[in-house]
Amino acid sequence: MQSAAPRQRTIPHRLEQHLSRWQPAPQQGEVLKLGLRNLYIVPTGFGLLWLGGALLLQLVGIQTQSNGPLLLSFVMLALLLLSLHLTHGQLDGLEVRCAQPEPAFAGETAAYPLIVRVKSACEGLEWRLGPGAFQGVGSLGPGEHQLPLTWIPHQRGWQRPGKLRLQTTAPLGLFVCWSRWQLPAEQLVYPAQNPGPVRQVPMADWRERTAAAGALAGEGTEEWQDLRPHRRGDSSSRMAWKLLAQGRGAQTKRFQDQRPEPSLLAPDPAVAQEQALEHLCDRLCQLHRQGQSYGLALSGLQIAPDRGSSHRDRCLEALALCPYK
Amino acid sequence: MALLTAAAWGVAPFSLLGGLSLSLLLLTALKLREAKQRREHRLVYLLQLVTAGLLGAQQAALGSSLLQGLAVLVALAGLLQLELGGITNLGTLLRRSGQLVLAALPMALVLFLLFPRLGPFSNLGGLGQFGAAATTGLSTTLEPGTIATLTQDRSPAARVAFPGGGPPPASQRLWRVLVHGQFDGQSWRSLNAGTAGSGMAGSGGSDPIIGGPQTPVATQVWLSEPNNFAEVPWSGAGLPLDRQLKVDGQGQLRYQGAVGARKLYSLAAAPAAPAWRRQAPTAQDLQMTAGTNPRLESLAASWRRQAASDTKAAAGTKTAGGRKNGANGAKAVALAEAWFRQQGFRYSLNNPLLPQNAPLDALLFERRQGFCGHYASALSALMRAAGVPARVVSGYRGGTWVVPLGGSAFLDLRQSDAHAWSEVWIEGEGWRSLDPTLWVLGGPTLGDPSAQSAPATAPATSAAAADRAGPLDWIARQWWGLDLAWGQWWLGFDQSSQELLLQRLLGPYRDWAGALLVGAVALTLALGVAAYGWLRRRCEGDRLQQELNQLLRSCARRGLVPQPGETVSQFGRRLRQARPLLGPELEDFVGLLQQLRYGRPGDSQRQLMARLRRCGQSLRQQLRRSPS
Repeated sequence: MQSAAPRQRTIPHRLEQHLSRWQPAPQQGEVLKLGLRNLYIVPTGFGLLWLGGALLLQLVGIQTQSNGPLLLSFVMLALLLLSLHLTHGQLDGLEVRCAQPEPAFAGETAAYPLIVRVKSACEGLEWRLGPGAFQGVGSLGPGEHQLPLTWIPHQRGWQRPGKLRLQTTAPLGLFVCWSRWQLPAEQLVYPAQNPGPVRQVPMADWRERTAAAGALAGEGTEEWQDLRPHRRGDSSSRMAWKLLAQGRGAQTKRFQDQRPEPSLLAPDPAVAQEQALEHLCDRLCQLHRQGQSYGLALSGLQIAPDRGSSHRDRCLEALALCPYK
Repeated sequence: MALLTAAAWGVAPFSLLGGLSLSLLLLTALKLREAKQRREHRLVYLLQLVTAGLLGAQQAALGSSLLQGLAVLVALAGLLQLELGGITNLGTLLRRSGQLVLAALPMALVLFLLFPRLGPFSNLGGLGQFGAAATTGLSTTLEPGTIATLTQDRSPAARVAFPGGGPPPASQRLWRVLVHGQFDGQSWRSLNAGTAGSGMAGSGGSDPIIGGPQTPVATQVWLSEPNNFAEVPWSGAGLPLDRQLKVDGQGQLRYQGAVGARKLYSLAAAPAAPAWRRQAPTAQDLQMTAGTNPRLESLAASWRRQAASDTKAAAGTKTAGGRKNGANGAKAVALAEAWFRQQGFRYSLNNPLLPQNAPLDALLFERRQGFCGHYASALSALMRAAGVPARVVSGYRGGTWVVPLGGSAFLDLRQSDAHAWSEVWIEGEGWRSLDPTLWVLGGPTLGDPSAQSAPATAPATSAAAADRAGPLDWIARQWWGLDLAWGQWWLGFDQSSQELLLQRLLGPYRDWAGALLVGAVALTLALGVAAYGWLRRRCEGDRLQQELNQLLRSCARRGLVPQPGETVSQFGRRLRQARPLLGPELEDFVGLLQQLRYGRPGDSQRQLMARLRRCGQSLRQQLRRSPS
């Protein structure tokens, strides 16, 4: 039994590869409505084996002139014919469309939402992208369902996961009914997050602009910079007691923190562009997690330092769509 | 797996088919152990299906068939579970596989009934004729001298039903199995024993009847328990209806199926006397080693002389030689019967062993006691010594006529009904059966009340039989009745029955059988797909929704339709205003619906559901009665 196992694995695989050359072109369009025109059905290897089993029983029934094997072989044949229709019926009338996918990072599992509308019931639905492994859900009742389709994009930019193969072998695994669909919705893919060197740009003109505005200075607690007359309600810990003792009146200390100077992030020229973008992406996400502000300087594009999710998304989108040099 | 193992119980392990199915069973079990992937599990279930089919070829009794059917259902449930994933409840899976089989069954039956049947491929022979394992009360060698005590074995031997008629009268209930024609002075051996299919006596063998416009109807349906040989019991008259059955020149019915399995076969009424009765004797039938039993031989020689002189005196010298011999035979039989009756032989089941030398002399002239085997072999030896061809036949005698509560009435033969008798060749008449046990004192006679029953008195005798047997026996007999009915119905359908069915269905348009088959398959396929969908919706749908939908349909017929956006409670309120009579029950219905749908699930869920259903039913009735 064990020796037969590898052969079982390879022969159908090779056959599948061979057959895939003649596969009909995948369906196009925003919505895939499955029906007679775009569903294909063939017996599985198991279905052929099943037929062989039925024929064997037929032979035994003829040879021994006994009705038991004959009836069983006819039941098996009937189930084969029936399951041709039942398997087709699982996918017939199914409507599939894409919801707008959320942006994702390259090299990581990305969710690609598929919405399936089932008329009566659909059992044993499986799907896969390209040559990958099949994913599946149990049975879907009537109504709309979201399929948890995932894929791993390898390129940044606007990407499409490729051809989707939807199939089912329910109820008995004798036939496989499938359809292929070129997924229409594009998903924005950010560069992979890859730690590495990033260039920080000390831009003179930008510094001048911001220094004048004093936008970066905020009130701190470490070292006092200035004094102002004490007002009621001011914390006593901020009172300049020394000056009071010297008789210079009640003064309140004003503090100012020494903040790290915000910088513009730019790709490291020593690294290849794609890799530099990946490093940038990683640094950017890190700074975002730490709550620090950052800006971005790409060729022909500058994004002023800021914080927040929408700022991060803007930066990441710029990285994703950064043109090749 | 356990089911299959149970189903495989009693399969002859050394027959080709039995060995194949047992090794498949083992293979399935091993594969099940190592199966991890879906593909491997699928293979296990397919193996299980094929094994069930192979077992079906060997064991067609009702119990085995039920087990095989169950094994098929379980295999399908396993396949469904592989495909549908989430379902783990065995009951649900079995229900689903039952639905599938129900949907496929009409088509399978159409194919089964109409698909052209083929005969067996003769060069392969019966698939299971090698070896044997079972035991029986009969043996191919009859050596009465070596058996001291005959044990009363009450285990079942065979059952026979007589469709369209009752059992034969008690005097004709001799069921022959083996013919022992070879005698060496001590023991009687069966010719060609245990070699099924090899010893067909060409001129005397009769082929089974297949096809033809006047296909005969079965008048004997036999179910024989496993035994060691190919010969099966029969009445000695009738035409075999199965291809596996052949009657040889000695009147033995041979079954070419698996030896060591239960055999179900049927025979039709024969228009004329069977050919084997007229099959002329051979030198073998007179063969006797002279001097082994001297006193017996001298007695036989005196009969021979007396018969010859009597015949001469009666018919004169003009009589032809053959006639003379025939008259001699009949005369010798008459002399033997008279002698046997005079001697005061006693019937006994416990007898001392007979000596090695001249055992039959010791039996006839010294001990004067014995059982059927003793007397049959002595009479046949006497006849041979007197120059009359003779042989010993073993089989069964009598039997209990049983009328079970369900199924067909049958004659129940036990191993304790095993019997031996003689057959002598009478010129001009053929082989005549003689039962010397009837001539001795104290033997079981054919007047035995349990054996003498006509159909008219059948219930009484079956009650008597039930009294004699224990309650377990009674249950077993009821079961056997069903078993035989199943055998009659199930095994009775063969090539000839199919011919008959087609004749009846199509009459002169017999050539359209192919078109009929294709049409019927297409129709049943469509029916199957529709039936499966219907069954799925019926069994799997939301019960609450179904109840509500039914009520809404009834309302719609009366012109009461929910408005867009209206909830059930709102619609209920409106309905109550329109039909105040429905009030309390409608309130109940809506309340129950809400509770079942949104309430906390509790133990009384089932009762609530039943109440909801009752409510819905009564509401629909009221709506139907009310004016629109």
